[in-house]
Amino acid sequence: MAVLGGVLLAAPHLLPAYYRSLTLAILADVALAVAWAFFSGPTRYLSLATGAFFGAGAYTTAVVMTRLPWPLPVLAAAAVAAAMALLVGTLALRLRGPYFAVFTFGLAELAKHTLIWYETGVTGTVGRLLLNPPGAVTLYYTVLGVAALAVGTAVWLPRGRWGIALVGIGADEERAETLGIDTTRIKIAVFALSAAFMGAVGGAMAPRWTYLDPQVFNPLVSFQTVIMALLGGATTVIGPVLGAVFLGILSETLLLQFRYVYMLSLGLVLIVVVLLLPAGLAGLLRRRRA
Amino acid sequence: MAQGGVHRIGGGAEAGLGVTLSPTLLLDVVVGGFTTGGIYALVALGLNLQYGLMRVLNVAHGEFLMLGAYVTFSLHTGWGVNPLLTLLITGPTAFAVGLVLHRVLYAPLLAGEAAESLESRSLLLSFGLMFVLQNAALLIWSADLRGYSYLAIPLRWLGTVFPANRVLAAAIALALGAAFYLYLRGSLTGKAVRALMQEPEGAQLMGIQTSRIHGLCFGAGIAMSAVTGSLVSMLFELTPFMGLPYTVTALVVVILGGLGNMLGCILAGLLLGLVETAGVYLASSDIRLISSYAVLSLILILKPSGLFGR
Repeated sequence: MAVLGGVLLAAPHLLPAYYRSLTLAILADVALAVAWAFFSGPTRYLSLATGAFFGAGAYTTAVVMTRLPWPLPVLAAAAVAAAMALLVGTLALRLRGPYFAVFTFGLAELAKHTLIWYETGVTGTVGRLLLNPPGAVTLYYTVLGVAALAVGTAVWLPRGRWGIALVGIGADEERAETLGIDTTRIKIAVFALSAAFMGAVGGAMAPRWTYLDPQVFNPLVSFQTVIMALLGGATTVIGPVLGAVFLGILSETLLLQFRYVYMLSLGLVLIVVVLLLPAGLAGLLRRRRA
Repeated sequence: MAQGGVHRIGGGAEAGLGVTLSPTLLLDVVVGGFTTGGIYALVALGLNLQYGLMRVLNVAHGEFLMLGAYVTFSLHTGWGVNPLLTLLITGPTAFAVGLVLHRVLYAPLLAGEAAESLESRSLLLSFGLMFVLQNAALLIWSADLRGYSYLAIPLRWLGTVFPANRVLAAAIALALGAAFYLYLRGSLTGKAVRALMQEPEGAQLMGIQTSRIHGLCFGAGIAMSAVTGSLVSMLFELTPFMGLPYTVTALVVVILGGLGNMLGCILAGLLLGLVETAGVYLASSDIRLISSYAVLSLILILKPSGLFGR
């Protein structure tokens, strides 16, 4: 752990720009997948809202970046995403199973089209320029910090009372409620915490693009996050990290050159993994060890 | 088209207030809504069959629509086959593909799986399928827009004008949807399907072969999607990315109509078509998705069993 931490801390000064940027993208994926898994893993609420929270965070940074000094836009992004999650969670978290998945999936599209409609109708311009972005090394440390906090939360959460409550909600929500757990409050709170990390990732990644428009609310972000977490094993901490690193490297290196062939084989790999590796990569490691 | 054109001009936030509700506009919205809604109803019916019966959320559903559309496009432009006749090819082919996919992918998953993780794993499986199909289409047909013109003749009725192909496509879609609904109500197989939806274990105890019915329904669902695609190819330009929006719309319709409720699904498809068309006419096209999601959110919150659910 300490070695890995040291390597990641030293990385931006040792690596050439391309690999630094690759590591940055993978760290962002890790943060998203881990944040998704610490809520959706134990509770089994399949959230497809990641793209919406990521987009909300990115847009928040774009709006406030000129007015606030650097790490503050990321905090604002986290706060906006968390507030959005509180609202959405209050409405949606009483839906179970596929209904919840569908509701959250629609969120990114809804946010995107509402924003387009608002910007064309009211402000008259669509999109934002991000001027004077912070340096690449600053961005790297910001994303590293967010990822480290997300992993820390994922490690710490299952050890406390709330972690047990989350597992109880996933196993049998009614029984958990009967046993005196305030399921609604815990679900919404952890959902918002997870959204805060997703918003922070969006906020920290936004300056990499110089121009941002509502297309940043991308449902593909939601899909990729779920795939990374489930591929690795969503009920562990190491699983989503493994999944994100694995898919992150693959997508960043192969996507640009052989886009269609890569995506096609990714789909095939996914199908094979689902049919043959039920507990994800983490489950495979555990079986090997046993 | 002149009158319809006038109504559509404007857009923006306050355009909705400027439009006067004339009888012609009302007719425009109603007929436009039904032609859109008929298409929605058929594609949603297919998804509802898979989803209501097996709890398999097939996000690749719209990809079969896309493939159906491309096959029709290729047959029509390559060999001059009438687009309507291609339905006889895309439908049965898709049905066979569905049977195979069920046997190879979903049957093993449904057989050996604890119910809790089934939902997320079948979802992941269909994501994989979506990636494979979409990128296969990109490799075969490239990302360029494709299209052809068929029956783009104006039909004049009560002072408004509609393209004949839209009316025809919606009529065929609704007729197929209605025929399927009657088949489910009337036939023995249909009875088995309804029994499995209501009481899976009880139905199995009565000697209904779950896996066989699942396979048939999966195939039928995919066939409906592909046939809808063949119809859609007469109306709009094709891209390999056209599938997902239809999947989303189908999901919205299924939830509006209530899981496993076929009549509700057809009605909800028409209703969504109407709401969207009204939204487009009264405000702007950006409002289309917003209005359908707003309807969905309201219904999920107020009545989670769907508009026509029990």
